[in-house]
Amino acid sequence: MKKMHKRLFSLALAILMALPLAGCGHGTSSSGTPGTDTSAPPKDGAVSGTLEIQYFVGGYGSDWWEWLVEAFEDEYPEVEVVVNAGSDINETMTTRWISENPPDLVYLDGPSVSETTFVEDGQLLDLTDWYQNLTMEDGSLLKDNFLVDPSNYGGKVYALPIIYDNRCVWYDAAEFASRGWMVPSDFDSWISVMKQIKSETGVSPLGSTGVYPSVFMKGVMYPAFADAGGKDFLMSVIDGEEGAWSSPECLSVMKKLQEIVDAGLVDPNFAGETHTESQMSFLNHKNYFVATGFWLPNEMKGSIPDGFEFGMIPTPMNDTGKPACTIPDIKSVGIAQGAKNPAAAKAFLAFMFSPESAVKMAEMAGTSLNLKNIDYSGSSSVPSYLLTATEMLADASRCEIISIDHAMSTDLQNPIGDVINLLLMGEIDAEEFCRQAEDIAEFYRSNK
Amino acid sequence: MNQKRNRRMFVLFCTLPTLLLFCIFTIYPLFDGLYMSFFKWSGLSGRRTFIGLNNYLRLLKDPVIPRTIFNDYFLVAVKVIFIMALALLFAVVLAQLKPRGTAFYRFVYFFPNVMPVVTTAILWTFIFSSNMGLLNALLGAAGLDELKRSWLGDLHTALPCIAVVLIWAGVGLFMLMLMGAISNIPRELYEAAEIDGAGRWRQFCQITIPLIWPQIKTSVVYIITTTLNGSYVLVQLTTLGGPANATQVMGSYLYQQAFTNYNFGYAAAIGVMILVLNLATVLIAQLVLRREKVEF
Repeated sequence: MKKMHKRLFSLALAILMALPLAGCGHGTSSSGTPGTDTSAPPKDGAVSGTLEIQYFVGGYGSDWWEWLVEAFEDEYPEVEVVVNAGSDINETMTTRWISENPPDLVYLDGPSVSETTFVEDGQLLDLTDWYQNLTMEDGSLLKDNFLVDPSNYGGKVYALPIIYDNRCVWYDAAEFASRGWMVPSDFDSWISVMKQIKSETGVSPLGSTGVYPSVFMKGVMYPAFADAGGKDFLMSVIDGEEGAWSSPECLSVMKKLQEIVDAGLVDPNFAGETHTESQMSFLNHKNYFVATGFWLPNEMKGSIPDGFEFGMIPTPMNDTGKPACTIPDIKSVGIAQGAKNPAAAKAFLAFMFSPESAVKMAEMAGTSLNLKNIDYSGSSSVPSYLLTATEMLADASRCEIISIDHAMSTDLQNPIGDVINLLLMGEIDAEEFCRQAEDIAEFYRSNK
Repeated sequence: MNQKRNRRMFVLFCTLPTLLLFCIFTIYPLFDGLYMSFFKWSGLSGRRTFIGLNNYLRLLKDPVIPRTIFNDYFLVAVKVIFIMALALLFAVVLAQLKPRGTAFYRFVYFFPNVMPVVTTAILWTFIFSSNMGLLNALLGAAGLDELKRSWLGDLHTALPCIAVVLIWAGVGLFMLMLMGAISNIPRELYEAAEIDGAGRWRQFCQITIPLIWPQIKTSVVYIITTTLNGSYVLVQLTTLGGPANATQVMGSYLYQQAFTNYNFGYAAAIGVMILVLNLATVLIAQLVLRREKVEF
């Protein structure tokens, strides 16, 4: 009995001592674990083995990714692609990144993934030299075919921009035509038609999402800042530089927004709505304008009323006689610094950029691949709004495309979003907005 | 001697696993959180930089923090007052007056406690929704269109709406606790009081309340800790702390800093602040609610 007690006690101690080791151990690679390349290493540049990818599924859906993986496996039969995908995949994979056991390739979009933070943390492979020499099927250099260049981090490139989206202002073209409303082209015509809509329907026509105010910031304020002060000013605002948010340019933009608010043209329900709720309100004519990306038709495809026709314009915050600015919204793909099969990851990344891939993306995701001169004429499935948008964006007399160098830090973006909501709710005026935003930028700089 | 030793071994065998699991899942994360609060860490990689007390200095200067503390204590105060008042009322009615259908009412009041919080959040989001919400529809049907609004998107109504949901979801549990306590009060005490001429109200104040005071105290402490620790779940599922931080509580701000802004170290410092405030509040509540044990 005494012996048995001793044994039981020893066994219990052994199990309990092993528990913390199991709980706290880092996810080191071992054969058979997901993402581990158990096959022989590639020889002489050959691509083989397991390739693990991570992609967030949001408004663009996953059809294009599924097509891409299948096409890649056909092209590279020696590679088996392991897919980690879904709307919560970034959160799910975070522990893998922390424990230095990441997937090989990551699509940098959605929550819990930040290109800037990944670069700062050394999580992404330096692609600077490699991508310079990548060529397309026609022999031209890939970098010469980009619509927007990759983000530059002190001369280094860590991710290639794959999706070229644009935040524009959407309206129901069929409704506008039937009611004889003029499609606006500048701020004066925009506020004029919004007043007309309000007087005829009683609806405050400018919709937005108060839950995610960054959507309004990127869709309305970024183009307005670019209109007011050009790219340098826009970047100074994005970086929270001293004096940028309290500058005359910023104040002039906020005065325009205050004019919209004071005229009662902002949907009074916006503050409690998520982006999908505001988009739903837009589809149901509870508002008549939303500023958002190309994902709108694809994301809402199950809820589009009969007769609704998507129309889009560059955000009309510009002064009369000037083209409107539009800011591309880029989503990139990177390779993990700790990738177990970087050769396959590079092959996959290069494989993403082709005219066929671009057409498939337009058809399946309703947005553009970051490549110039794509001919969509061979496809009847490319959405008409995308063709119109492509034509519009190519027309320099209507819009000026201004690419930003990098995204705004969420440390600045979130508190600024709060004061944007206060302005749109009519709680503060333009001057107070600028004062509060400058204070926020100062707090942001002091904690950088 | 041997028997004593065996007994000690047996006690150790029974308590050690629990103690060790407690250490792993409670004590270790607690100290790890404290340790993490001295680092700048994104939470997206293994790279951390020691920055001493900088996260705590930032905490003192962050203009959102006072708002989150106010919102949390607003919810604590409102929940303690309304949950205890309603739970006590329902418990007395159901346990002492015993109306017809007591079991049904008990089930109905307790039902929100067994509903997953996600379901609760979705249900109430639909009720408060501006365009398709039940509340606005009822107001419209009653001809009160001027009262219709975006309940969760209005600076003045968003936090009270969150409080309503938390109260609705919390009453049932405390009602059951108090019902149990009231049922244990000997009937003779009320009969004796009645003979002595004490009315219902006096019986309630001088017999019921003193005898269920330990349960009331436990309930209040439980409400305080669950609110300071857990109200962020509902906030995350309904408003994400908006509009403009009107519903931001300490927990939701911690979550935002950790998983949206990638400031895990700063979020850990906020966690330490929540722990300290929680402990201090519970200690104060214990002192305020301290009473001599009453026995008849």
